[in-house]
Amino acid sequence: MRPPLLRSSDGVIAGVCAGLAVHLGIKRSWVRIGMAVLTLASGAGILLYAWLWIFVPTAADRAAEAGRQTGPAAFMHGVGTGTLPDGAPAGASGQTARILGDRLHSDPVGPLDADTWRERTLRAGRREVLVGTALLLAAAVLVVQLLGVQLDWGFFVPIAVVVAGAALAWSQLDEVRRARMMNRAGAGRAGGTLRLVAGIVLVVTGVLVALSSNGSWTLTMATLVAVLAVLAGVGLVLAPWGLKFWRDLETERAARVRETERAEIAAHLHDSVLQTLALIQNRADSETDVLRLARAQERELRQWLFADPGRDPGSLAERLRVMAGEIEDLYGHPVAVVAVGDAVLGPAEDALAQAAREAMLNAAKHAGVAVSVYLEAGPDTVEVFVRDRGSGFDPAAVPADRAGIRESIHSRMLRHGGSSELRSDGDGTEVRLRLPRTTESPV
Amino acid sequence: MDSETVAQDGAAPTTVSVVIVDDHGIFRSGLRAALGPVIRVLGEAATVEEAETIIGATEPDVVLLDVHLPGGLGGGGAEVIHRCARRGTRSRFLALSVSDSAEDVVAVIRAGARGYVTKTISGPEITDAVRRIASGDAVFSPRLAGFVLDAFGTAAVAVDDELDRLSARELEVMRLIARGYSYKETAKELFISVKTIETHVSAVLRKLQLSSRHELTRWATERKLL
Repeated sequence: MRPPLLRSSDGVIAGVCAGLAVHLGIKRSWVRIGMAVLTLASGAGILLYAWLWIFVPTAADRAAEAGRQTGPAAFMHGVGTGTLPDGAPAGASGQTARILGDRLHSDPVGPLDADTWRERTLRAGRREVLVGTALLLAAAVLVVQLLGVQLDWGFFVPIAVVVAGAALAWSQLDEVRRARMMNRAGAGRAGGTLRLVAGIVLVVTGVLVALSSNGSWTLTMATLVAVLAVLAGVGLVLAPWGLKFWRDLETERAARVRETERAEIAAHLHDSVLQTLALIQNRADSETDVLRLARAQERELRQWLFADPGRDPGSLAERLRVMAGEIEDLYGHPVAVVAVGDAVLGPAEDALAQAAREAMLNAAKHAGVAVSVYLEAGPDTVEVFVRDRGSGFDPAAVPADRAGIRESIHSRMLRHGGSSELRSDGDGTEVRLRLPRTTESPV
Repeated sequence: MDSETVAQDGAAPTTVSVVIVDDHGIFRSGLRAALGPVIRVLGEAATVEEAETIIGATEPDVVLLDVHLPGGLGGGGAEVIHRCARRGTRSRFLALSVSDSAEDVVAVIRAGARGYVTKTISGPEITDAVRRIASGDAVFSPRLAGFVLDAFGTAAVAVDDELDRLSARELEVMRLIARGYSYKETAKELFISVKTIETHVSAVLRKLQLSSRHELTRWATERKLL
């Protein structure tokens, strides 16, 4: 399949020829030669180039659009990095654009692989090449003049000025698009305005000089004033329209963001909640299955709705919550975790979590009721309590060959400088795990 | 024996009248069915305005109040409590929520709710909680106790009246509740009476409602979930 027609970001001027080459599947140099030849035909090449420059999007543009279409991920990504929800989508799609752009970039299509090295050199020296070309042209003009050919400077200079001004203003087309995607606040907007103003001044000056090259200074000034008056008038008339256009654009952007958000939520509900509800209907006869499904779904949805992006996934509290979830799924009894404070997960804390898991497992397996887990991470000690309201058991009556409590809980805690205690009576069982704080960890 | 006279006497009433405020019809009917025979449901409401009207009209002992409600100024359960307080209602509020968000819990407790339980609570437990609230006690779930400990810190303060800290005894009680102990079990563990436990819990509730320390609000907004 033919790759889409996109301006590439590593072209010499605006990437038109490079993009065209990729699209047509021929070498760039051939496209460039073709353009040059067309230019000789009374400037058709330049017109074609300009036309393509305006109407063909860049690879980054397209990537941003694609990013917007698969918006949810990009949106959530933006939220996840903690940016304000308002600014997030723009930033996110900008990131996506950059990522996709880079991918397109470092992924030249088939036959062009051999050119990579040369492209890189070209890209690096793009500005230098342009400046060099301009200098070469100037040198050629000078040489021609030295050889005795009379050049009409009064004609050439204004033309050059107009072209320079136009180039300056037009070069913004790409910059503005890019800036809008990268950053709505537009850090480079001041620069853009400056460039636009400079371009207008240059073009107006050039046109004036060209028209009044033989006229008087007063006539030039009068013309200038007239031109400015007309421009101001046109500006005045178009301003409301421009404003309205801008506002519509903003509204549309906001609507799209909302739509993206809604689609994300719908997709999530469909993938998780509706599926689970369907499963629950199928298993309606098995109470444990229904309970388990409902609990698992609740946990997942909670995680999705309330999860704090800043929460450290490697913390002790988070570890205990994950373990509690697993045990809930295994046995179908709710395991509620209440955490006060938190600790980073060092080797000792990991052992504590493992011991707590063993205790939760025992409680869910033998007591067969709801299990309460309480974590308190103080400045000196970390304590975990695992409690159930089962019928309890006599610790002394447990056969000596059963390693569960002794090995997995007690010895494990001792090895890491901690301690454990087990209490069991008719009201239930509680395992208490205590670990002195070794590493300084943020609460 | 007339149940209403008993309720007015302030002793533990044999029948407690409640109003259920929740925007979820299925949940309302489920809760109605789960409540024990000693609880009489006077009415139901689904929005902030409906809740204000029906609470004003029926003056129930206890209002079972969802934290998230449509209507009003968007303040949910906390707004209902504020509105009813302005009308001078004598009903007490028990907040019910599926939300684990500390922000929601603290908002509704500080508005004046006397307890907070999650919606997964069983029928007998909710019945017990309603009776407790009706007799003027506070109802703390393990999670709410965890919130309190996290918000006030786990270091005790010597002065009992200090609003921004918990006393050593209050800390002990909160810890045990967070560990999943009932009031009775807590009392047994600490060798004190259930009545004393209730006093401590009410004191903690008062601190939670009245403490002006700005950390409490900031803490709640920072913790989306615990």
